[in-house]
Amino acid sequence: MSADSFTVVGKPVVRQDGREKVTGAARFADDLRFPGMLSAVMVRIPAAHALIRSVDYSAINNDPALAAICDASDVPAAKTVGIVRKDQPVFCDKKVVTPGDVIAMLLGESEEELLRLRDQVRIEYELLPVLTDYCNALAPNEPLIHPEFGSNLIVHYPLRKGNVEQGFAESDHLLEQTYTTQRVEHAYIEPECVIAIPREGRKEIQIIGSIQNPFTARRIVADVLGWPLTHVRIQQAELGGSFGGKDDIMCLLSARASIAALKTGRPVKIRYRREESILESYKRHPYTMHYKAGFMQTGKLKAMKIDIIADGGAYASMSPFTTWRTVVQATGPYEIEHVWTDVRAVYSNNPYTGAMRGFGSPQPIFAQESLMDEIAVQLGMTPDEIRRINGFRAGSITASGQELAQHDVNLVTVLDTAVGQTAFAERWQENEQHIKPTWTPSCSLDNKDFIEPDQLLQKGIGLATSFRGCSLGAEGTDAAAAYLSLRPDGSASLLCGLAENGQGLRTTYCIIAAEILGIPVDSIEYLDFDTAYIADSGPTVASRSTLMGGGAVKNAAEIVRTQLEGTLRKRWNLATDRSFVFSSGLVALVDDPAKYISFLDLCALAHSTGVNLSAIGWYRGPRVHWDESVGQGPAYFTYVYGCQVAEVTVNIGTGEVHLDHITAVHDPGTIINLLGAQGQVYGGVTQGAGYALWEEITAPNGKIKELNFDEYLIPTSLDLGTITPLFVSGKETYGPWGAKSLGEPTLELTAAAIANAVRNAVGKRFFNLPLNLEEILLQRKLRPEDPNANQ
Amino acid sequence: MIPQIEFVRPKTLHDALSILAESGDGARVIAGGTDVIPGFQQGDLRLKSARTLVDIHHLPELKNVETRDGGLAIGAGITFTDLAKHPIIAAEYPLLKQAALTVGNVQIRNRATLAGNFVNNAACADSVPPLLVYNAVLRIQSHTSVRETPLSDFLLSPNQVQLNAGELVTNIFLPKLSASHSGEFYKLGRRRGTAISRITLAVLLKVTENRIEDLRIASGAVTPIGMRFIDLEKVALGKTIDKSFLKSLANELGEHVLSKTGIRWSTPYKLPVLQQMFFQLLCRVRGCSGEAIR
Ligand SMILES: Cc1cc2nc3c(=O)[nH]c(=O)nc-3n(C[C@H](O)[C@H](O)[C@H](O)COP(=O)(O)OP(=O)(O)OC[C@H]3O[C@@H](n4cnc5c(N)ncnc54)[C@H](O)[C@@H]3O)c2cc1C
Repeated sequence: MSADSFTVVGKPVVRQDGREKVTGAARFADDLRFPGMLSAVMVRIPAAHALIRSVDYSAINNDPALAAICDASDVPAAKTVGIVRKDQPVFCDKKVVTPGDVIAMLLGESEEELLRLRDQVRIEYELLPVLTDYCNALAPNEPLIHPEFGSNLIVHYPLRKGNVEQGFAESDHLLEQTYTTQRVEHAYIEPECVIAIPREGRKEIQIIGSIQNPFTARRIVADVLGWPLTHVRIQQAELGGSFGGKDDIMCLLSARASIAALKTGRPVKIRYRREESILESYKRHPYTMHYKAGFMQTGKLKAMKIDIIADGGAYASMSPFTTWRTVVQATGPYEIEHVWTDVRAVYSNNPYTGAMRGFGSPQPIFAQESLMDEIAVQLGMTPDEIRRINGFRAGSITASGQELAQHDVNLVTVLDTAVGQTAFAERWQENEQHIKPTWTPSCSLDNKDFIEPDQLLQKGIGLATSFRGCSLGAEGTDAAAAYLSLRPDGSASLLCGLAENGQGLRTTYCIIAAEILGIPVDSIEYLDFDTAYIADSGPTVASRSTLMGGGAVKNAAEIVRTQLEGTLRKRWNLATDRSFVFSSGLVALVDDPAKYISFLDLCALAHSTGVNLSAIGWYRGPRVHWDESVGQGPAYFTYVYGCQVAEVTVNIGTGEVHLDHITAVHDPGTIINLLGAQGQVYGGVTQGAGYALWEEITAPNGKIKELNFDEYLIPTSLDLGTITPLFVSGKETYGPWGAKSLGEPTLELTAAAIANAVRNAVGKRFFNLPLNLEEILLQRKLRPEDPNANQ
Repeated sequence: MIPQIEFVRPKTLHDALSILAESGDGARVIAGGTDVIPGFQQGDLRLKSARTLVDIHHLPELKNVETRDGGLAIGAGITFTDLAKHPIIAAEYPLLKQAALTVGNVQIRNRATLAGNFVNNAACADSVPPLLVYNAVLRIQSHTSVRETPLSDFLLSPNQVQLNAGELVTNIFLPKLSASHSGEFYKLGRRRGTAISRITLAVLLKVTENRIEDLRIASGAVTPIGMRFIDLEKVALGKTIDKSFLKSLANELGEHVLSKTGIRWSTPYKLPVLQQMFFQLLCRVRGCSGEAIR
């Protein structure tokens, strides 16, 4: 099917849940109440690293407000959980390794009373040395966070291609830089909430919650309870944002709620306030990245050596997967002969880090795109030129030795589109040539430090490009299921095994089924997610829902359509080679459009003749593979490409950066819902801008300072100018009609583009995100806890 | 969490004042509640012994704006939204309007009141610098008394003001200002929307034949509470206004602030930026620069 023959695919379709969400009618987990339901309150200690000596509940044990206490002694089976490494206790009883850790949970009818009781639990503990400098985590004398693993190393990924030293020797120039990125919070609008309801005889548990990945939660709860998966049933409530953040934490809360519900025989709700949400939930990894590049006078990159250390914080969580994506993509979308990369994730007593939109890519993109710009400036080239010289093209070989084939390698296309659209090169050069006033911020300003008023605001333009492997890649099994059932009246019900995360996948899936069956999108009812009704399709992560789930939905719709075609062939006595068009609620013969039947009549006919109009669709990604010892192999089965151009105004008196315009050019394959795709760009760019300029979770001594949105600053609508999304299309074998990924690509390169634009505006380069006021003006962060703050 | 607490909503100012007189120490006034409600959440000590909240947000007596003695008397309970819309305020006291429009966001401005802002007396209260340069005088009433106090005396120390139990600020009087004064308000936040001030400045200037006849300077968020710089203003009197003088004035402002705060963690950023932006602001007021700072 070609693009212009689509009926709904690619059109702007208003999402199914949009109205309810903006009118407040949508029901989130915390809107649900059940008879006899108990509240829960967590008991913690304000320590980042401590041995628990004793826990004394005697002061509250007989209080009528207390229904029960749950702690480690109540955990029936697995005491520790984790998606990769099982290092995170459901309740801590020996040690606390981060202040978010929970020692016990109090249950009762009144949250307020429980908060009062919480202060009366007496916990004795012994403070241990706290490790916060994660770059030092592997040094011999540092404390071990989880001594049972023998080291603070969570994972190490090497990648070796060619001979990097030889590459450096042959290079005309070398450039070496170190970059750092900060820890950030997902900032989903709805904090965590989950309800566990014991079923008859306490032999089954029903869980309803704001859960990103219901199948992961099912597995973890079953492990903790020591039950088979069938006895754990997870239903997803309307979810108020996730961005990768409602995975581990929601599994853990589901497990705690289940334990309490089974202990008390009553429904138990856990809901977090914002402070508690930020305190306990995981964050995006801070990275420290050392890059060394060797390149020729012509601009051609010859060799790159990269050493990255990622702060995994207190628990391993997704670090092994996040940093794997980093090692695959660390050199950026450039062909380089000799590459030597090491990526390590380590433990520390900092807040733990895991999945967040971008997943190991925003950090290296900031580094590698800053480096590319610096090389361009050094060689007297424009940023787009250097990228055109090195960028991937059809048949290029990646750092892991994969040949880019079987899809349109659109890197140069997105670059040229973005550059053309914004008159990038001319404007970049014009700004470069402009002489920028400088001043030295000090306690007493010299005459020359005062900026002429008409020089206060400086304009800059910058770009960044990226490539991104779609879906899970060699991280794991990649398959998804969808269930579609046609009713006698021509309407349908649909459910996919990938859970809605607020990105609008329900609407996307309905569009896909509607296109295949030629019926209106709103005649398809999307069913509520329940692990009891649909096959495990892996997690909603890695921008894989449209690609994998969409593939499954398309397959299900095609199966049903084939059934309908069979019915019609029989009825009309047609040979098997006669084919049909399904469109506008009619089914007609391709070569004789005058011969048609209404979709409704055909459904009724099929129904009355006992034809099966229900199907489970399935979609499996092709095999990919990875050699861990050298970091070589076809990591992902396909890739997407993006280029963003940021235009900024910098107030050089204050360090304020205003984003005037971001042009985001992406190649997501075929677009299913135009409105959804544009929404991804608006949201992703905004989140990427937050990463560039404002957002940062600091944790002096392991304790988070920014526990609410008064201190954790995310961009508001006044902080961003125009965002222009542009889509480039290309041929793709995989996904429904070649639809690939967009969610994460939109966010991952924004910060890099902004940093490059700021450099263009002020003439200084920045190596440490976020580019907040102090960073811009002083090229360092200022923090109250910093011992040198006063110098 | 907000504790169980009595909530009363008197119908008139008179009733409000008598309820306050009767309730004694346990009563707290709530207007827009945009400081009080988060205050409960943050364990604000001023709310610790609160037993009754007296809501004055709707009282019509506190919403009036009227001209008096050539100046303007503004009802203490006016919201920032209404304040910013008021034509006389916009025309005669534009710095106050500018400041009002930088408070929080639309939702906050729809509730937040002018008196609530300076009675709370946070260092970063945005209405304070403009009110200080306009020489605002407060009318303060209790069930049995009425008194008038300049705002500069009323503000004591962070979160402390000269207000007794049972008293309400009922209006704010801004004396008449000569038409030849010009001025600007400036706010620096970490972002544009819903931003706590890092620096605010209000400047009023009257120049005759290139000599400074009157200069009023106030800042917020850089000293423990918002304040006027009277000494500095005196230095400027009669001086010829040119860029090099403005630079020296900016430097002196820095010294004044430093003497008040000592070196703090934020000083390496805030102090130079204060001087830089003060200079920029004076240039703007003077008309040396056509461009807006933002
Ligand atoms: C999200 C958010 C953003 C904000 N942004 C800003 C900002 O940008 N700039 C800024 O300056 N402030 C800001 N604030 C703080 C707050 O909105 C203002 O200080 C506001 O003006 C307080 O007014 P209110 O009517 O809500 O006061 P309330 O909370 O009702 O009261 C504050 C204090 O004043 C007392 N009080 C109120 N009225 C009277 C009266 N007539 N007589 C005597 N006492 C009285 C109360 O007893 C209380 O002690 C923000 C607050 C929030 C929550």
